[in-house]
Amino acid sequence: MAQTKRYFTGVPELKDAPAFREAAENEFTPTQTVDEFLSDNRLQETSTGRRDFLKFLGFSVGAATLAACETPVVKSIPYVNKPDQITPGIPNYYASTFYNGQDYGNVLVKTREGRPIFIKANKAEGVGYGAVNSRISQSVLELYDNTRLTGPMKGDTAISWSDLDKEVSAALQGATGKVAVVSGSVISPSTQRAINAFTERYQGRHVMVDSYSYNGIRRAHQATHGTDAIPQYRFDQAKVIVSINADFLGTWMTANKFTKDYGMRRKPEGAWMSQHIHFEGNMSTTGSNADERVAIKPSEEGLVAAALYNAIAGGASVNLPEKAAAAVKAAAAALKANRGESLVVAGSNDLNVQQLVNGINQALNNYGNTLDVSNPSRLYMGDDAAMASLVNDMKNGRVTALVVYGTNPSYTWYDAEGFNEALAKVKTTISFNGKADETGARCTYKAPDHHALEAWNDHMPFDGRVEIQQPTISPLFSTRYAQESLLTWAGDTTDYYTYMRQTHNAAYVADGMLTDESWNMAVYNGYFNTTASVQAVAAAEGADADAAAPAAAAFNAGAAISAVKAAAGKAGKYELSVYQKVSVGAGEHTPNPWAQELPDPVTKVTWDNYVTMSVADCEEMGLNTVIAQRDPASLVTVTAGDSKVTLPVFPTPGQKPGTIGIALGYGRGAGNENIGNAAYDIVGGMDGTLVMDENGKRVPRGQRAAGLVTEANGLPVYANTNVSIEKAEGTFALATTQMHHTIMGRDSIVKETTLGTFLAEKDKPKGQASFNENHVLITHDGEIPTKEFDMWNEHPIEVGHRWGMTIDLTTCTGCSACVTACHLENNVPVVGKDEVLRHRDMHWMRIDRFFSSKYRTVEETQEALEIGAIPAYIDMERPEENPETVHMPMMCQHCNHAPCETVCPVAATTHSNEGINQMTYNRCIGTRYCANNCPYKVRRFNWFNYIDFKKFQNTNPAQDSLARMVLNPDVTVRSRGVMEKCSLCVQRIQYGKLEAKKAGQPVADGAIETACAEACPTHAIQFGDLNDKNSGVRAISQNNRAYHALEEIGVQPNMYYMTKVRNKAENNA
Amino acid sequence: MQKEAAIREPLILGDKSYGDITDDIVGPIEGPAPRAWKIMITITGLIGLYGIGCITYLLGTGVGVWGLNKTVGWAWDITNFVWWVGIGHAGTLISAVLLLFRQKWRMAINRSAEAMTIFAVMMAAIFPGIHMGRIWVSYWVLPLPNQFGSLWVNFNSPLLWDVFAISTYFSVSLVFWYIGLIPDFATIRDRMKKPLPKKIYGILAFGWSGRAKNWTRFEEVSLVLAGVATPLVFSVHSIVSMDFATSVIPGWHTTIFPPYFVSGAVFSGFAMVLTLLLIMRKAMNLEAYVHVKHVEYMNIVIIVTGSIVGVAYLTELFISWYSGVEYESYAFINRFSGPYSWSYWIMMTCNVISPQLFWVKKWRRSLTFTFFMSIIVNIGMWFERYVIIVTSLHRDYDPSSWGEFHATPIDIGTFLGTIGIFLTLFLLFARFFPVLALNELKTILKSSGENFKKEH
Repeated sequence: MAQTKRYFTGVPELKDAPAFREAAENEFTPTQTVDEFLSDNRLQETSTGRRDFLKFLGFSVGAATLAACETPVVKSIPYVNKPDQITPGIPNYYASTFYNGQDYGNVLVKTREGRPIFIKANKAEGVGYGAVNSRISQSVLELYDNTRLTGPMKGDTAISWSDLDKEVSAALQGATGKVAVVSGSVISPSTQRAINAFTERYQGRHVMVDSYSYNGIRRAHQATHGTDAIPQYRFDQAKVIVSINADFLGTWMTANKFTKDYGMRRKPEGAWMSQHIHFEGNMSTTGSNADERVAIKPSEEGLVAAALYNAIAGGASVNLPEKAAAAVKAAAAALKANRGESLVVAGSNDLNVQQLVNGINQALNNYGNTLDVSNPSRLYMGDDAAMASLVNDMKNGRVTALVVYGTNPSYTWYDAEGFNEALAKVKTTISFNGKADETGARCTYKAPDHHALEAWNDHMPFDGRVEIQQPTISPLFSTRYAQESLLTWAGDTTDYYTYMRQTHNAAYVADGMLTDESWNMAVYNGYFNTTASVQAVAAAEGADADAAAPAAAAFNAGAAISAVKAAAGKAGKYELSVYQKVSVGAGEHTPNPWAQELPDPVTKVTWDNYVTMSVADCEEMGLNTVIAQRDPASLVTVTAGDSKVTLPVFPTPGQKPGTIGIALGYGRGAGNENIGNAAYDIVGGMDGTLVMDENGKRVPRGQRAAGLVTEANGLPVYANTNVSIEKAEGTFALATTQMHHTIMGRDSIVKETTLGTFLAEKDKPKGQASFNENHVLITHDGEIPTKEFDMWNEHPIEVGHRWGMTIDLTTCTGCSACVTACHLENNVPVVGKDEVLRHRDMHWMRIDRFFSSKYRTVEETQEALEIGAIPAYIDMERPEENPETVHMPMMCQHCNHAPCETVCPVAATTHSNEGINQMTYNRCIGTRYCANNCPYKVRRFNWFNYIDFKKFQNTNPAQDSLARMVLNPDVTVRSRGVMEKCSLCVQRIQYGKLEAKKAGQPVADGAIETACAEACPTHAIQFGDLNDKNSGVRAISQNNRAYHALEEIGVQPNMYYMTKVRNKAENNA
Repeated sequence: MQKEAAIREPLILGDKSYGDITDDIVGPIEGPAPRAWKIMITITGLIGLYGIGCITYLLGTGVGVWGLNKTVGWAWDITNFVWWVGIGHAGTLISAVLLLFRQKWRMAINRSAEAMTIFAVMMAAIFPGIHMGRIWVSYWVLPLPNQFGSLWVNFNSPLLWDVFAISTYFSVSLVFWYIGLIPDFATIRDRMKKPLPKKIYGILAFGWSGRAKNWTRFEEVSLVLAGVATPLVFSVHSIVSMDFATSVIPGWHTTIFPPYFVSGAVFSGFAMVLTLLLIMRKAMNLEAYVHVKHVEYMNIVIIVTGSIVGVAYLTELFISWYSGVEYESYAFINRFSGPYSWSYWIMMTCNVISPQLFWVKKWRRSLTFTFFMSIIVNIGMWFERYVIIVTSLHRDYDPSSWGEFHATPIDIGTFLGTIGIFLTLFLLFARFFPVLALNELKTILKSSGENFKKEH
């Protein structure tokens, strides 16, 4: 082509303008020099005078100075520009406080890109409640709940906040004098102040009620110590702990803290190990940990307390069954030997029982040592008598406006029907509850409060201490602080943050301590200490302190004893004990799928409510005693007074014959309330749709047990000593994660001994103590340690890191905080009841719970040898009637000679050079050979596409557009057809290593923690580098209690278990 | 030509000429399809389609539609796989091993036995594929050069050995079978009058001209392939057994498995050959070629292999006790007394007790009884694999994970479907292929034919 085309840069070039030619010729354009620009004559030309210049200067400096003063950020706001401290991919932790009326904990909230995704314990020095349980951990999902109210409502229609305020204010105005606020226990002084301001404005009253009442303890102390208080318990100071049906390691009060304290003294290597004697009817988490567990009936709880009182304080003996009497005698002796260093607690809410327990502790001089009423706990302030009188007033029209705040009496109050009836008579009802739950749905106005993770608050768990709850995300919905609502209606428009600051500024004027700087430090720490008491702080506004509890008669042991004897005399054939569930509490977490999927620590049942009954009783009634995949539970109808429930029966070892147990927290949403689909039954099979009844309403899971409780002295007593049980038609499938309950004599999986044996052999080198002998094989060359039989090439295990874990079976209580933490951290799918029933739960870590059976092993038991191995094994499949229990956390053992690694055809599971058995999801083709070949059965297969398949639409949070916000972005969400398992939280290891690298230092011991180790309140699970000569895990792994589970098969795990030591005389298991 | 003792029972009954043999075997291919055939293929085809439906559902939904779980990761899938592979053993054994041993009676059965082998291996191959969580990446088990970096298959994995063993076995069997078919296809081609089939059979016959040179090469290739195939008969099932034998699971971890699996495979393969042949000889009027003597020979093989299997079962029991390993001994106690003991006792009855009945000459020469027993043996062998896989897995080391396996309708549908597909393929074979190796048969007519024996 000819060169006819010409390209030009612009019109000047085209026209060949002279200016262009000139510019083109000069390669460098002449620049204006600085001197020229700033030359004197040009400055003189400007009109800015010297004075103007000074004005400008002054303004600029002033503006710049002001701009440098940062406005304190009190709200979490989503960011458009990258804020300081938030780097995508880097988590931020905020110290905060968890409180929902029942559980209380000091926590750190992990946020990623502004989303809170994980709650862990704040273990900093000086933090009292720095332990989590599974209920606290799983609450983070409740923030991302699609069924939360998204804004204020009137009836079923949305309304604006201003309209709501107008209408409510008018209604309240008309109801002045007849206004009441009913709330859960308020331990926040600022909230109390706001409520006081409100009740003062409308001359109303404030009633607190707990979803599970501990009012009996308060009232008992009123009688015995003259103070309406729940003491602070110090389980870490008690050498002997006697518990009469107080599940203090599971659900009783702040079980997370108690577990932590208890665990501190359950270390056989420590200066001393506490002895724990437990009396109960149901098999609870706590009972399963006791050194001595005595099965008694609920009606005998009072008798045991009385007998113990008499044995210690002197008095006539009390009639008790032989075993219980002997156990009381032994317990009394142990307690007397440890005056001032022992603790007796009772779970009963019966006034008499609690008074006797106070009497025992008083007689043992425990007050001031192991329990403290001088600075009591401020939790659980619910007053059942006040609640009952409020309900009465509501019925009689003496209350015409009711504000419900953070409580759900329509479900939790034992006389819920009465409450609902009364509520219907109240003209104006307002609910602050975040959901239209049972109570919320019945209220006219719904003014939803923020979720705790979106809100500021201050909590005073006891005098002298304020613990701060800080928001970690901007409110997701158009919700408003309940306190602000109250204040608005009281005519105060202060925002709650300011109001809260004012509370403390006012309270500490005297201290002169609460500067902005110290406040920020307090927020950072999560708490500050004060010299002021709760009353003083709350009363700073001038409102009166909480009305004094009804004066109780002074403690009279004789009267209490005859009262408990009289009560025991009325017991019928079957007695019922109603308990809180470790997973769902008293119903707070029922709609949470994580809670539903968490196996009960004792029965290992998920997703359902059931009657626990002893195997003997089941046999007597002709009920199914084996629950498995195709062996559904029998149904029974339990009648207690006017209440009736029909539930499946779970045959529970350890359940006292003649007693049954039913958990609270089920049967929620009976009115088809929109509380979350996990609370409702789902059709089995592949559909995943909800079960609908004939009216097109959803069917709640389980049944409400709160109606079965009895009332005594104005207190709900969570037992009923006379119930009748009838076999009902049909069966009901119960989904358990563990179908076999005994260890079958496999003493290389679980090793246990007694404290006496352990102490005698404490100094023997590892492998020589009788309780943990090296495993040897007998060959023609003599006995040779198993480890020497090895055909494998060694991994270079002494180079670099070798991550490992130690798990102490002595301190593991089975509380399951680790299971939940693992579930959260690793985006483990929730698979629902039908899949759990098919034995396909996805838990990366589980807690194996083994009950003792008739023979410990076949080889070592004469009787077993006599009857022969086959009948002996059949005998061993059955747990004992009152068995000893072992809780054994089990996850991938990260074997150095991993059987799974060799069999994978595509090398999808391999060994890292840091000792981790790693799973490469991308490479996995899903043959499941690895899972078959795993001796510990810890591998989990994605049978379906859990994040998309319809079966899991109402089950797996990852399928919910909002709930999936909780997923951990560091962990891949697995697709269908791949294998998964514990990765030792490899994402955390990687993060920790990078941090250490940035700091230019080796990874410090303790700098990296797996989710389970971090969640463990008793430090039973510890993680670290086995190659680090100074690491904690290395030291523990060399302890003579440390062993590998199934050592003889030679897979050489990186996980060590520590022999369980029971503090008792001899091993009778 | 070989001479055969007159006292030996003839292998071809009646007064058959070469032409008769051709007519008897090629005749049905040329004629219209019989009504019974149409009915049967409709039924088997429908069962096969149902199976394909189940497999499609499985692939669309996930392996969870089967009854497997966290403890029992394999059940019917691998049971079926091993069962079908086992059945696929008879063909090659008959055509290769018996060829090397010059067993002439094989000529009446080798063609259909080989066909059965090929179809059975095809059915077997379905299961490792569909049991995978992600079948769409199943080609990763092949050591192909790839762009995934340095990713290579894991040569330590017995599952990979399986891939090689099965694919080798399948290709060798297929070639062996096809080579044998070439002269017979040529015969059909030469007789066929319809143009299209003539063309097709012509292509299939690979230009066979029937010259002496063709025959020499044919015999040489057959011998070479027999030599290649013989070790495969033993290697395939040995390697399949290593899936289990090299694992750590009590009840799997057993050195006895390779010989035990091979004899079990021959055992079940012969039973399946009998099942099919006894029907086919009746339906296709082949009584002259496949008769009591053949059946008796095969029943003798069944006694021998069945007894080996029985000894293996007892050895396992003894070793589990003698080892003193509690897991091992419990695994076997659990087999015969645990929740799945019914399957163990079905296995013992079908595989150990029932073949011993063939010691009675009258019974082993009874066609009805043999047919009944062949079904029993196949049921027993299916349960053998079920026992090994499910009862070993459901209670292994950690009692906390002990579980159960319950088959779902999809498990059953998939299995029945493969039987349907298998029978459909076999029926197609019977309709369009020469069901007996007619040209080979002709070579023994004069030595083992009834009339020739009488004449000489």
